[in-house]
Amino acid sequence: MTQWWDFTLPVLGRAQYQAIFLANGQTYFGRYYDRIGAYAKIEDVYYLQQTKSSDPNAAPDTKIVRRGRELHGPASRMLVPKSAILFVEDLKDASPIAQFMTQDSR
Amino acid sequence: MSLYDPERDRVRTAGRWLRWSARWILVPAVLGVFVSGNVDVRSLPLFGPERLSAVLFLDGQAYFGHLDDSGESGTLVLRDVYYFQNSQGATSGLPVGLVRRGSEAHEPADGMRINRDKVLAVERVGLTSSVAQAIAVERELAHTASPAVALNQVTVASANALAVQRTAAEHDLQRGLSAAADQLAKLNDLVLPISKTEAQMITEKALMDLRTVRRNALAAIAAATGLSSADADAYVRATDPLLEGQTFANEPGVLLAPDLNGIVNRATQLYAQVGDAAAKQLTQSRATPSPSPTPTPRP
Repeated sequence: MTQWWDFTLPVLGRAQYQAIFLANGQTYFGRYYDRIGAYAKIEDVYYLQQTKSSDPNAAPDTKIVRRGRELHGPASRMLVPKSAILFVEDLKDASPIAQFMTQDSR
Repeated sequence: MSLYDPERDRVRTAGRWLRWSARWILVPAVLGVFVSGNVDVRSLPLFGPERLSAVLFLDGQAYFGHLDDSGESGTLVLRDVYYFQNSQGATSGLPVGLVRRGSEAHEPADGMRINRDKVLAVERVGLTSSVAQAIAVERELAHTASPAVALNQVTVASANALAVQRTAAEHDLQRGLSAAADQLAKLNDLVLPISKTEAQMITEKALMDLRTVRRNALAAIAAATGLSSADADAYVRATDPLLEGQTFANEPGVLLAPDLNGIVNRATQLYAQVGDAAAKQLTQSRATPSPSPTPTPRP
């Protein structure tokens, strides 16, 4: 039932995208929904990926990646146990990450 | 006698229609909209294709399988479980290989009970993804039957998907042999403490051993794919010469089914052993027989 009963609590006036900070230090970006039950739902998930620069003194290159091209080809919906979430923040519409996600989803 | 007939009263008739409509049309429609808006149809049991889940742990480990999560307890149950194993430097070029849970030293039975507090996320595995295809091929290799009726379907790979994986395994074997042969060639370019003839003999012997490892691995692939001994023999004799001299250097890696991955890993270990033994022989000078001390008569 956890998998298919997808009742989410309606929230008025929230931003289009949220940043979800997780207990392992990772951050996901996407549309966050507070489901009834043990899980929250994130749709259209993005995350930051850092790659080491060829110059050892330079800061690592950071890019935002849409989840889905991994070896297991995950679907756009991700369920996250609420116990693994530290906090959730709305992204401003003008934020570079929100603008990238908006453009990418078109 | 009154002419008023309540059965013909338009207001009453409309009221009856409204009550009937509310009970049999409006309420079911509202319920239907509510349910359909809140049910993920792709996740319903019994319907649709297989639902393969990825359970990502807080420590970074990921497990794949059929998820049973009633939501009422703090435990998830994952069945028919597969996971990634680090395979840096493997011949596939992929950073991970797929392993089926159950072959560990403690031989766990099917049904992994997971504490939800340790779970980071649950995702649906794409059925066309590398992981799903490797699992489907593994089921084909294990002769798993797809039941006609099941809460969650079991996808078994087609003959084409199996052929793709078999070819990828053959190319992985050849890449491993090619890398070991390259190492030997580089060693031969160095100034060695043995003669050129000795170095050539050692290298040729090592190359023969490497080819034997490849042939045995091809025979193991044939056995795993269910070929009869005659067909397996023909397959090895036909495939082995086709691989000779190839490098498949720019080919993208394929995530292999655990059984095929195990064969490739074993062959890679043997390639390394053959290469190490040859390197040791090439770089160590032969012990020159020293004259045995002649006993001197004591004064």
